Amino acid sequence: MQVRDLTMRFAGQERALLDIAAIELSTGSSVGISGISGAGKTTLFHCLAGIAKPTAGVIRWGGIDICALSGDEQTRWRLRNVGLVFQDFHLVDGLSALDNVLLPVYFDRWQPSASLLQRARELLSAVGIAAMDRLAALLSRGERQRVALARALLLEPAIVMADEPTASLDPDHRRQIGDLLVEMVRGQRATLIVISHEPELLKRMDCCLSLQHGSLQASADFP
Amino acid sequence: MMRFNPLPLVRADLRRSRLLAAVTVLLIAISVATGIAVISQERALRQGSARAADDFDLLLGAPGSSTQLVLTAVYLRAQAIPLLDADLLLQASDAAGVRYAAPIAFGDSWQGHPIIGTIADFASRGATLTPTEGRLFQSRGEALVGSGVDLAMGAVFSPAHGLHVVYADEAAAPDATHEAIHYTVVGRLPARHNIWDSAILVPVEDVWQVHGLPSGHPAGSAQLGPPWQANQLAGVPAIAIKPDSVAAAYRLRGQFRNARSLALFPAEVLNDLYLTLGNVRDLMSVLAIMTQVLVVAAVLMALLVGFLARQRQFAVLRAIGASRLYVFSVVWIEVLLLIICGALIGSTLGWIGANALSHWLQSQVGFAMLVRLGAAEALLVAALVLLGALVAMLPAWLVFRRPIAEGLVSA
Repeated sequence: MQVRDLTMRFAGQERALLDIAAIELSTGSSVGISGISGAGKTTLFHCLAGIAKPTAGVIRWGGIDICALSGDEQTRWRLRNVGLVFQDFHLVDGLSALDNVLLPVYFDRWQPSASLLQRARELLSAVGIAAMDRLAALLSRGERQRVALARALLLEPAIVMADEPTASLDPDHRRQIGDLLVEMVRGQRATLIVISHEPELLKRMDCCLSLQHGSLQASADFP
Repeated sequence: MMRFNPLPLVRADLRRSRLLAAVTVLLIAISVATGIAVISQERALRQGSARAADDFDLLLGAPGSSTQLVLTAVYLRAQAIPLLDADLLLQASDAAGVRYAAPIAFGDSWQGHPIIGTIADFASRGATLTPTEGRLFQSRGEALVGSGVDLAMGAVFSPAHGLHVVYADEAAAPDATHEAIHYTVVGRLPARHNIWDSAILVPVEDVWQVHGLPSGHPAGSAQLGPPWQANQLAGVPAIAIKPDSVAAAYRLRGQFRNARSLALFPAEVLNDLYLTLGNVRDLMSVLAIMTQVLVVAAVLMALLVGFLARQRQFAVLRAIGASRLYVFSVVWIEVLLLIICGALIGSTLGWIGANALSHWLQSQVGFAMLVRLGAAEALLVAALVLLGALVAMLPAWLVFRRPIAEGLVSA
């Protein structure tokens, strides 16, 4: 991934929400992004995922400048290349754990193939969900985040992005989910971008970016 | 073939908000049912009342209200109407182009069933009706009952004076019973689905005689029906004329429309009545449609608020790769399904309700009101579904066009 001269500002506002000269990530690496509230973490996250368009700049993933894509093209690119994990899981309560994992499949086909169904089951087993037919609404918070992680990995994305994936969990689940996230993404050789305040999670990243007022303040490599 | 499948999400959303979905469907169903019941009932009333007048091509009565004459003679609504002069029955019977001229004489009843004095030609509607049991009356003291009269063949009864009076105990009204005459049931007519199914037809001579009037024939004569003897005739409330042809019908109407008699086509009177009531019917139809539109609008507003509250869910779907068309489809199909379910359930409820109402009404108005769902009802439901499909695009469109990032950070 290459980011060049990325700026984001609302019309009429002098101060930029984001002002980043350059970021580079190699395939399969992991990066943590930290910063206080309002530092621009979520805005950067949205820009990198192709959810929001920056005011100026280039974000290139594997040769594709996602800023140059139309909204619909960005959506298709995200479906094929990005797995997203949110702080609040965002599962569909009326669907079972298995159907939640399979949800992205329905975005571009009528039925999941047998191989995708098999992969969904394997992912749920890998994250420790045995009751695959249980409605998401009946799962605990830790279980919901595990299902969300399985959903993000189903289509074998090249990039996994997680926004505060452990922030709403208790300490035990934080560590478990953090471990699962890092191990499973590495196992898939995907690039991992994590926004987090959790030092334990950030330490497991290859590097960490710190944002302040929309600008990168430091880049630290973790062993 | 669609390149995506919104149904799992639609099913999940409806399952999650099943109470809201049920209330929505119920409101739409009630609205549709009301519209269908009003429209089908109005049609059933119109067709039923027209069918009741089929047996009366031309009706003669004393000068007065044509509506009152039709209500009294055709629908057997108990009203005191003046009698026609006796010679008019003779004139009508002898007039050219008349197949039969039947006196319609009422005034008595049996346990609420009106007893009508007439001639056998009218009882058989000019030999077009054959009794389902027994035969037509052929002599004095014989009675022919309608299909809805609970009297067996061979049963003997005495008439009570007065129309449509049901005494809790006939013995409690001793002065009201004409004990001097007894009728024997000799036949039963097929169902006509009008008030005449509950009537008892007897020779008019008996009705005249029981009221102390001449019988139309020389004293002691056992003859029934025409020819009448001029000096032995009594006045009658109405005469039903069966003309030979349409031309004869118009000519006879002209002939008997004068200072001494009123001649009318009951169907024409009903038509005038329908025209007069037409504006009311149109107003009812508009009100029914407006009710539906208002209910659908209110329901859609509630759904819109619900969808706007779920902006974040839709933004997440978009973030994880759902196209705008996918999210649009989810919202649109959800609303459309609720409307279609409401319309189908409402149609069924409307049909059941209209039938129940008809059942009750026909005992009040005296003619069968057969409810059938017709093109108007189908059009109403189709218009509702179409309108719903169009209006449902509004919430779908609002969800469609909202930026993902904005939706993700919304509360």
